[in-house]
Amino acid sequence: MNDQEEDMGTVYITQEDAYIGKTDERLTVRAERKSLLDVPFIKVDGVVVLGRATVSPAALNELLERQIPMSFMTSTGRYLGRLEPELTKNIFVRSAQWQAAGKPEKAVHIIRGFIRGKLKNYRSALLRAQRDYPELQLQTALSRLEQAIVPIDKTPEIDALRGLEGTGSAAYFGCFNQLIRVEGFHFATRCRRPPTDPVNSLLSFGYSLLRHDVQGALNIVGFDPYLGYLHVQRYGRASLALDLMEEFRPLVVDAVVLSVLNKRFLKPTDFTAEPLSQAVSLTPEGRRTFLRLYEQKKQSAFKHPVLGRKCTYQEAFEIQARLLSKYLLGQTQQYPPLVLK
Amino acid sequence: MAQLLNEDYIPIAALNQYAYCPHRCWRMFCAGEYTDNAYTIEGTALHERVHTLSSNQREETWQVRAVWLKSDRYRLIGKSDLIEEANGQLYPVEYKRGKRGEWDNDELQVCAQALCLEEMTGQTIHQGYLYYAHSHQRQLVEMNADLRRTTLDTLQAVSALIETGTMPPAIYTPRCKGCSLYQQCLPQAVDKVSRYREA
Ligand code: SF4
Repeated sequence: MNDQEEDMGTVYITQEDAYIGKTDERLTVRAERKSLLDVPFIKVDGVVVLGRATVSPAALNELLERQIPMSFMTSTGRYLGRLEPELTKNIFVRSAQWQAAGKPEKAVHIIRGFIRGKLKNYRSALLRAQRDYPELQLQTALSRLEQAIVPIDKTPEIDALRGLEGTGSAAYFGCFNQLIRVEGFHFATRCRRPPTDPVNSLLSFGYSLLRHDVQGALNIVGFDPYLGYLHVQRYGRASLALDLMEEFRPLVVDAVVLSVLNKRFLKPTDFTAEPLSQAVSLTPEGRRTFLRLYEQKKQSAFKHPVLGRKCTYQEAFEIQARLLSKYLLGQTQQYPPLVLK
Repeated sequence: MAQLLNEDYIPIAALNQYAYCPHRCWRMFCAGEYTDNAYTIEGTALHERVHTLSSNQREETWQVRAVWLKSDRYRLIGKSDLIEEANGQLYPVEYKRGKRGEWDNDELQVCAQALCLEEMTGQTIHQGYLYYAHSHQRQLVEMNADLRRTTLDTLQAVSALIETGTMPPAIYTPRCKGCSLYQQCLPQAVDKVSRYREA
């Protein structure tokens, strides 16, 4: 949080009991009588508070006024909730979103897109690893992934589609440990709430951050983030943010987690475990490192396969949301998930 | 701009947006999307300067700035940058960023202002001006029958658009390059999505 680069992007506040205020047109963060950050609001596209902080009414007003979303997480990175700026007045997007919930063909098409996107991106991650490290044993996982991808477009029931997603994810996480190329870290199986090993804690933390970003993009486009298609039943709470995250999980979060570990940005000593719950989390120093690299990843550019032009992942969140709105409004015949080779 | 929108009156600004691109007009006045970018921010700053309410005597010309204009007959409402009077003739002046006459839609706006002014004063308005900030030039707008007809036709189209909310298609044209809503609209996406083959 101390690096005050030209383009701030998302501001992460990791200092416990920080005071977030507003001075003129600037967002300021102070703690223990020291100034930690002083940045023009115009350079901020989101604020993520990790742990406890006080926000001044003036700062709150300014954030809402400027439509800057603010998310709150525990200091270990568990998502708590957010301050959502007013939705855009684009009632047409929301109404199309709701209508599709009652139209199985549309909902199914969208669900297929999210699942295909996620599984295909899993597949490319494994293929790339296989190319880079021929000694890895990824063939079984790859063929199980393929078996989950192929039937997606011929499967009409939502529950069966969820089943394919489950199978594909299991295949991928079944060999995720092989993608970790350094000593000292091990991945057995995906576990959340609380994550009890460093790799899982990084994944969970990353998905929380991703959710903040994707939900912000959905809000800008005019969606109601609480009405989803894929996640309607699973979490007992509709959430389009969780849906749209799917295709981005491997591209953004898993990629950052693997590179952070494999390039030794984080060591096992950057993690601590709680005595009773065994919940593992990053040390403050480790957290800053991870946040920096996550932000860097979001700002990294690639060529968008549909639009055929360069964009960053941060921009891609919004582009995908816009492509989804075009499909829902009947302007396009399909929703193309972001699939990268 | 959105706050001008009420059920009964059409914002004058919607007319030239419609003439520029019906889809853009829909986004701004039906979907309520309006994002500042360099163009609109610059436009606002210019407008703020002009819109500080004042009325003064400049040589022989009487000027009043930032006047609300309204026509009950045409159900039009909007704000004029500047109204002047010279030789007993009232006329509206509209300030624009950039150079003159890239697209002719600005003339509609001046004409709609003149229609309101006619109703408000009982005078026939024969002319108006567009002032281009970039070149510091005034361009005469003649309220001839052609322009009046085009303005009323556009008004009718905008009324229908706002009443029904039906989205006109986004069609990619050279105008899209200068459009502040490009990133929201992605006018080329429809084409690109239909040609796209997922890897
Ligand atoms: S980008 Fe083009 S099609 Fe879209 S609103 Fe602007 S001018 Fe119209």
